[in-house]
Amino acid sequence: MTDTKYHEPEERSLQARRFKPASEEELAEAIELAFDYRGDVRLWLRHGETVEGYLFNRVNSGAQPGAPYVEIFPVDRGLQRPARTIPYGQIEEIEFSGEDTANGKSWEAWAAKKESQRQAEAARVEAEARARGHL
Amino acid sequence: MAVPLSQAYTVAKYVLTQKAKGITRYPLVLMLEPLFRCNLACAGCGKIQYPDHVLDMRLTPQQCWAAAEECGAPMVSIPGGEPLIHPEMPEIVRGLVKQQRYVYLCTNALLLERKLDDYVPSKYLTFSIHMDGLKEEHDHAVCRDGVYDVAVRAIRAALKRGFRVTSNTTLFDDAKPERVRAFFDEMMTLGVEGMMISPGYSYQKAPDQQHFLKRQRTQELFSELLRDRKPSWRFNQSPMFLEFLMGHVEYQCTPWGNPTYNVFGWQRPCYLLQDGYVKTFRELMEGTDWDRYGTGRHEKCADCMVHCGYEASAVNDTFGSWGGLARTVRAMVAPNRHGSGPSLLQPRPPRHDGHEVSRA
Repeated sequence: MTDTKYHEPEERSLQARRFKPASEEELAEAIELAFDYRGDVRLWLRHGETVEGYLFNRVNSGAQPGAPYVEIFPVDRGLQRPARTIPYGQIEEIEFSGEDTANGKSWEAWAAKKESQRQAEAARVEAEARARGHL
Repeated sequence: MAVPLSQAYTVAKYVLTQKAKGITRYPLVLMLEPLFRCNLACAGCGKIQYPDHVLDMRLTPQQCWAAAEECGAPMVSIPGGEPLIHPEMPEIVRGLVKQQRYVYLCTNALLLERKLDDYVPSKYLTFSIHMDGLKEEHDHAVCRDGVYDVAVRAIRAALKRGFRVTSNTTLFDDAKPERVRAFFDEMMTLGVEGMMISPGYSYQKAPDQQHFLKRQRTQELFSELLRDRKPSWRFNQSPMFLEFLMGHVEYQCTPWGNPTYNVFGWQRPCYLLQDGYVKTFRELMEGTDWDRYGTGRHEKCADCMVHCGYEASAVNDTFGSWGGLARTVRAMVAPNRHGSGPSLLQPRPPRHDGHEVSRA
């Protein structure tokens, strides 16, 4: 249901950017960006592992045991998978690896398109929903 | 009154019980989002902008029932995504009805006619059909031609089978009042039990004065829509919320009134803002700094007058005092007592919810 209309400037997408924070403050800032990002991110951990998935939560208040940490749904763990918890201190780099699903999807962007573009996009969305059995 | 007496009684009893127990923060409607996947892709809809593997996630029936028990709200609204895509939705609804909760299944109705056999009519179950206006406006809003006609057909079919059906309309500043009033006539002619209306949520970084003007425009729009209200129009929502939308009364937001549970957990602080997630309802209620949110307190709340924040404030006003009850009765029996003009040129309306609000 559409009860939102976002007006964020579209050119600000972080897609494909990679951050190597140099301090705790920069790390916290990069994690906030990842939390707001509507696509998958890849976390490069200090012990050499990489984790790619949707970072849906970060707990940075000291009141929670283990905080600060992020919670991420890895892409490769199936549908009923548990979220993975990763302490801030283990994160070395953050890459905005997945498609930014919000980019270009604002009401304004839709309204600015030509009628033929809108029709083509509507047809594509309908065909995708039909292919999944959702229509 | 559009809400059946048994439902009004249940809600009134629940609210009064909370008040008798001295509980000041209590949930009224659980917003249960069992999936984010939709079969429409309305431009600007923030609920569906996720990677595919997140859109494919589903809450299980057990998770849904447990969330409803944990929260305890007498009403459950199931938005999404499109709930009818969820293969276990009939089972989820059956379980919630068994708990005697009033369920509002919010759907765009594209699948409704085909799925009606999976559901049993009940006073506890309402199909809340997303309709953003007459054919032209609705199809434009959902970015696909023909959706309005499908929804109308589904409404007729559901009503014929004895289901409770309401319409659910989100309006932005560009709505044309005369067209929306014609839409109200159309819905009543179709025979829906009642209509639910709310301004949409939009957020744009702007100076405070601009936010104030935006709230004024919302009040102007709803004053235009609801002036000289026709006796045939029935609204399935609090009369005081409509008064609030028209600018006749001012409320602070009640973000805990419609707590949201989805595949990420309990969402802080409300249905529209995503400031993080916690694992239990108790953590949400006790661990959230509620004073950070609401009109004048948080940048992203500046323009918001949406039902999920303010309808609970209106209900709280109704049951908070004899004065509130009297205001509500007045709003019900004489909705047109303010005349045809908006209240915006009059002095600032009184606040009735005991909160302080600051305005720049």
